[in-house]
Amino acid sequence: MSTTPLIHVVDDDPSVRTGLLRLLDAAGFETRGYSSTGEFLLQPLPDRAGCLLLDLRMPGPSGLELQEALLRKKIVLPIVFLTGHGSVDSSVRAMKAGAVDFLTKPVKRDVLLDAIQRALAHNATQRAAREQTDQLHVRFASLTERQREVFDRIVAGKLNKQIAAELAIAERTVKREREQVMAKLDAHSAADLGRLAELLRRSTAK
Amino acid sequence: MVVAISRTALDFFQRHGEQLWPGARVVFVGFLGYEFKPSALPPGASAVLSILDVAGTIDIARRLQPDARRIVVVSGVAEVDRRAEQQAREALAKLDERVPGDFLSGLPLPELEARVAAEPPDSIVIYLAQFRDRDGRPYEPHEVLRAIVKTSRAPVYGAAETLLGLGAVAGSVASYETRGRLIGEQVRRALAGGPPDPSHTVLAAPNRCVADARALQRWSLDAGRLPSGCEIRFKDVPIWRQYWWQIALTLAIVAGQAMLIVALFSQRRKRRLAEQAEQAHRAELARASRLAVAGELTGTIAHEINQPLGAILSNADAGDLLLDSGMDRRDELRAILADIRRDDLRASEVIQRLRDLLGKQKFERKEFDLNEVVSDLESIMRAEARRRGVVLEIRRAPETLAIMADPIQIQQVLINLVLNAMDAVADESEARRTVVVSVAKGEGGAVLAVRDRGRGIAPEYRTKLFESFFTTKRDGMGIGLSITRTIVEAHGGRVWVESGPGEDTVFQVALPLAFANGAPAVAAPA
Repeated sequence: MSTTPLIHVVDDDPSVRTGLLRLLDAAGFETRGYSSTGEFLLQPLPDRAGCLLLDLRMPGPSGLELQEALLRKKIVLPIVFLTGHGSVDSSVRAMKAGAVDFLTKPVKRDVLLDAIQRALAHNATQRAAREQTDQLHVRFASLTERQREVFDRIVAGKLNKQIAAELAIAERTVKREREQVMAKLDAHSAADLGRLAELLRRSTAK
Repeated sequence: MVVAISRTALDFFQRHGEQLWPGARVVFVGFLGYEFKPSALPPGASAVLSILDVAGTIDIARRLQPDARRIVVVSGVAEVDRRAEQQAREALAKLDERVPGDFLSGLPLPELEARVAAEPPDSIVIYLAQFRDRDGRPYEPHEVLRAIVKTSRAPVYGAAETLLGLGAVAGSVASYETRGRLIGEQVRRALAGGPPDPSHTVLAAPNRCVADARALQRWSLDAGRLPSGCEIRFKDVPIWRQYWWQIALTLAIVAGQAMLIVALFSQRRKRRLAEQAEQAHRAELARASRLAVAGELTGTIAHEINQPLGAILSNADAGDLLLDSGMDRRDELRAILADIRRDDLRASEVIQRLRDLLGKQKFERKEFDLNEVVSDLESIMRAEARRRGVVLEIRRAPETLAIMADPIQIQQVLINLVLNAMDAVADESEARRTVVVSVAKGEGGAVLAVRDRGRGIAPEYRTKLFESFFTTKRDGMGIGLSITRTIVEAHGGRVWVESGPGEDTVFQVALPLAFANGAPAVAAPA
């Protein structure tokens, strides 16, 4: 996996797109250009750190529509919007939907690179969080069925005795399974387990 | 019938009349007093007499020259002259104030001239008449007057009407005209037959004061001193007083004509001014409409200019970074510069197009292909369509459709129709948000059509559509279509609309082809 972030540039105007790609390239980023939102969606998206530099107004689906599509597909890619002539409406909409920035063309180098940096930092956080959740899922998947039953009940705040009674197993067995769960999920207390349970719940519900 | 003028003539008649003209009647014409007495009139004769009024003439002279030192009387030595001179002596003797005088009688002309010229300006010269000088040389009395008047410093007066006008200042004279009329009357009476009417046997022309304005002026005499009722002749009557009504009429006619001409000119000028004002007004409206279009296009314009500017900035920044990197990436830099140049030109082209479309330029006609108008506006129309989320379809004619027109105005027509069409589909579903612009050869020449799939136009609006200030849009001005029609008709073309509720709306503009079948069309001159 490459360490250089990949910047996706979607703009229907070839000269604008070329200019942006050149600039980002010269600034040391890896870049990819697309002439429409459709083209972007059709390309397989590599799992890499990066962000999306998106023209707001384009023929076919607009930048805002692409933003919505990405949200729906749960693709984590921070968006920096670029527009030739920004309207307050669309900028508000874009920012509410989680855009990192909303820039007006022609855009100054520092402003653009700052926004890109912020987007990448945001992406790094997002990716780290997702990494954590993903790991958690992997760990959770390693639990046996019995251990999951025990986990559910611990999270529900039940005592070992109660769990043993409910599952009709020995309290000692519950105790052993509980230690296994804690070890597998890298938790140190019941409170830890509760936090993890919440994370799991949220990430699956999304 | 005999008219005997002078005593000599009457004497002749009396002696020989019976012999020569038996039974003829006679009318005597002559001077009263020294020449004739009414009692001496032969039986059956009548007379028209006049009076040599020397006394009256002296009186007039003295009125004009109250301070006169001397009175000089000029006369000849003929019998007539002597009688007149005698009268003058009598008249002078009767003056209440003695004025020293001199009688220049019968002097040869050169001597007479010298004598008169020697008289001081405050003398009075009375010229009676000189028929003969002492040497027996005969004269024409008028010539004598002319000669002495020429050199005399003192005013010269004359006692006969004919002397006035030859240089004499004034005199108490009988009118020859009146005398002539009286003679005529006597002759007529005599010819009518019958005994002469005793009460009309002797008639006399009255003496009147007559003066010569020119002579008065020459000797600086005051006309105001003349007796009242004195007739002043040869007054320098201004021509306008003499012919006042002819002049007035002529002036009136000339003035009337002049006024008419002025009125016509002013009317023409007013009309031209009004026409110019109307034209200017129309041009202003057209411009206002273009500005309104510009307002509508603001977003697109900004976009169209910002795109290349953004690209230029990014390219320049990239170039900077490449130079900073210290690597030799000359080819890339060259490509960057080429792109910057291209984008710069693109931006300036957009600006040029807008200036063409929105500027206040002169009307110019030239020959061009109607397809070009569509091509020229394509980028702006497409950008606008994209901004509005409208699908714009453009269909050009396969052949060249040359028209003679002002390209900018035709562009204006197109942009007006296209913006209207886009407005019409603004609230429609995506499937209906389509505008089709097409150019084709049609019956009326080159036909430009703009079709939209909007709601259509209600029949009651269709007739009003092209009127000024009629609009159904919330913030419309109602000038777009009226300007469109004005422009199209000024080019000898026609604009019409086909529409109905729920149907596609098609605005069509037909413009005459510049060359139809190879022959010049009826297009107006450039």
